[in-house]
Amino acid sequence: MERRNFLKSALLGGIAGAVQLKPENLFASESKEAQKPNDLVAVMGGEPVAMYKRGIAAMGGITKFVKKGNRVVVKPNIGWDKKPEYAANTNPELVAAIVKDCLSAGASEVVVFDHTCDEWQACYKNSGIEAAARAAGAKVAFAHDEKYYKEVSLPKGLRLKSAKIHESIVDCDVWINVPVLKNHGGAKMTMSMKNFMGIVWDRRFWHANDLQQCIADCSTYSKMPVLNIIDAYRVMTQNGPKGKTTDDVVLAKALFMSTDIVAVDTAALRFFNQFKEMRIEDVSHIQKAERAKVGTTNLDAIKVERIKI
Amino acid sequence: MYKWLKWGRVAVSLAITILITLAFLFFSNRDNLFFSKLLTIQFVPALLGVFTGSAVVLASLFILVLLFGRVYCSTICPLGTMQDTVWRITSLFRSKKSKRFTYSTPSKFLRYSFLVLSGIPLLFGSSFVISLLDPYSNYGKISSEILSRSEQFIHNVLSSIFPDTIFFRSYSQFIALSFFFALAFLILVILMSAFRGRLYCNTVCPVGTTLGLFSRFSAFSPVIDKESCNKCRLCISNCKSECIDIEKAEIDASRCVACFNCMTVCKKSAVKYKYMWGKGGQKTEKPVSGRREALLTMGLMGSFIAARAVTKKYLSSPKETENGIAPPGAISVSNLKNNCTTCQACVSACPNGIIKPATGEYGINGLLMPVLSFEKHFCGYDCNVCTQVCPNGALIPLSLEDKKLTQIGQVRFYEEKCIVVTDNTACGACDEHCPTKAITMVPYGDAGLTIPVVDRNICIGCGGCEYVCPAIEKAMLIEPRAVHQIAQKPKEDKQEKIVVDEFGF
Repeated sequence: MERRNFLKSALLGGIAGAVQLKPENLFASESKEAQKPNDLVAVMGGEPVAMYKRGIAAMGGITKFVKKGNRVVVKPNIGWDKKPEYAANTNPELVAAIVKDCLSAGASEVVVFDHTCDEWQACYKNSGIEAAARAAGAKVAFAHDEKYYKEVSLPKGLRLKSAKIHESIVDCDVWINVPVLKNHGGAKMTMSMKNFMGIVWDRRFWHANDLQQCIADCSTYSKMPVLNIIDAYRVMTQNGPKGKTTDDVVLAKALFMSTDIVAVDTAALRFFNQFKEMRIEDVSHIQKAERAKVGTTNLDAIKVERIKI
Repeated sequence: MYKWLKWGRVAVSLAITILITLAFLFFSNRDNLFFSKLLTIQFVPALLGVFTGSAVVLASLFILVLLFGRVYCSTICPLGTMQDTVWRITSLFRSKKSKRFTYSTPSKFLRYSFLVLSGIPLLFGSSFVISLLDPYSNYGKISSEILSRSEQFIHNVLSSIFPDTIFFRSYSQFIALSFFFALAFLILVILMSAFRGRLYCNTVCPVGTTLGLFSRFSAFSPVIDKESCNKCRLCISNCKSECIDIEKAEIDASRCVACFNCMTVCKKSAVKYKYMWGKGGQKTEKPVSGRREALLTMGLMGSFIAARAVTKKYLSSPKETENGIAPPGAISVSNLKNNCTTCQACVSACPNGIIKPATGEYGINGLLMPVLSFEKHFCGYDCNVCTQVCPNGALIPLSLEDKKLTQIGQVRFYEEKCIVVTDNTACGACDEHCPTKAITMVPYGDAGLTIPVVDRNICIGCGGCEYVCPAIEKAMLIEPRAVHQIAQKPKEDKQEKIVVDEFGF
């Protein structure tokens, strides 16, 4: 009896494992064939690269976003002179996986950069991103001087009417925004939209002129990222965005991706809220961006796929 | 044989000068401390750092001089090598006649005046005068202000040719006083050496004068053999120290820098580098001149070292007030003023470019000493480079752990100037940059805003908040700690482990 039960469950388990027999997947795969592709994909429970692979497949593959010959920019958060385990910067493995994927899709070049807060060479090095991106075949661009930025006008901005944006973004064909999910003392949260502070030269202007509005304003930029991928593998839940020790970090093992920057930030915020209470009204750049018709906070109105590994 | 000695000296002196120079250049100095560590072989740094790890170097330098004469001046001192190079180069444009040196009488009064002038303030805890005269430190200033800026210019020309592989080095601070001092000094030394060889070394340089007092008793000295000398004066015309008196057939050992030129050129082999100890006679025949000066100098040195040993204990009197923030490792502004000779090794080494030569922050006797400026950047939390490169012990080496707790200043928050108060909008730039969380954000009003609060006990004065504060009149300012303190450790913020299995939406 026992043995039969064991065999049965082992067999069923094996099958379930092989075909990923989970309720969401069943429905998802049914509708996938008939309907439009996913607007937002959330992945949980895996390593950064594995989660990225599952996520991008559910978004329809990288070739949907990166065409052959495209000049691509992958923009992680490399703001701080901190090692990966402090979760102050985007996970280097994730950055490398995205770079490789873009190149395999036929990108003519992939550029990685960030306008750092701490001394830039230390940030590039200690975040592990420079080495990982280079090894994956990317070009790591300099962003520490005003000469690397070009004036761009933001006609839809309320407070931020123009900004000096990094030349590689201005000159590229497509760009992918890869922030890390963190708490933030001033902006409350830092996610996809807040990550735009690393593509501009003069951040101080934002802080002095209604930070939340400026974050939303920059997201009205005509050249938006084709994809936003929020790294929530390690999440800094307190003392952000720089953090003090690894005590500030939880191993959350999640990843969110979407073409809709407002939606992906909303999803990540709701996920974060489970660790530390965070009201969407307080992270007011999200709703300000929604009012500017950048995207939607209504996750029920878009097609969301949730994947657990 | 003397040819080998001479060319050996030239090779060693060029090598040392290049290595010293590399400690001030960006490309060689950015990722390692190798060249900076070599700076400790210089005389004044070794003297000032005698209680901070340089005793062996200082003793070795003295032994070297006692054995071989002023070889320090002709091989180790970068300014000496620079002067020889200037003479060489300018010789190319000179007529044969004006290429020749002649004998000159020593300007004893000037020499000892400069020595006393720079020595006495040292006894009373000020390295200011010696910082203006020390050959190494001035070579440092020339390297930092002129060579390093030229390097930056070349770097940036290259970066415009290869924009993808060579980055642009942002032009940051330019302190006119420091630049023009270095330039004026450079021009002065070039002129002196172009016309009179080692004139600086033998009239102005306090190191040259000091070593000259010892070199007269050195084991090996150049001597003229009266028998074989035919008075052709070839040695004189090649003596850059102008110290060969052919009439008396004497070489002034206090001015001779042991360059070996005279021995190399003498066709009669009349000038010899002779072992003098134990041969009695020769030396004591006539009274050694300059005994009084020797006593004076040794008295100065002795009392200097004694004064050091005593004051080391209470260098930092807690009453001091200063307007400048001294770099980590300085212990106190008075320790800095005691030991810094403004060589700018720290200025060149700071990866964040925030150390600048002071223009009055420490008062007159602190001019050109390193002071922090948070205008363009702030002090890196995970960096202790400046504390590692100082050869003088003006900045003592700090481990990263110690540096992270060294309170060089303390923040003061002016709430009424804060953006959150004046504009009623979110900011938090200061909190964002604070590495110890001496600044935290607390709720402000009902609109979900947060405002900074500061805990000055945790603050180490890195200046991240001051640098980044976007208010027109800064709401965060670092007040200097004239005597550096140890900050309280950052609070530990353990958080309970929350297991999350759902996406939350």
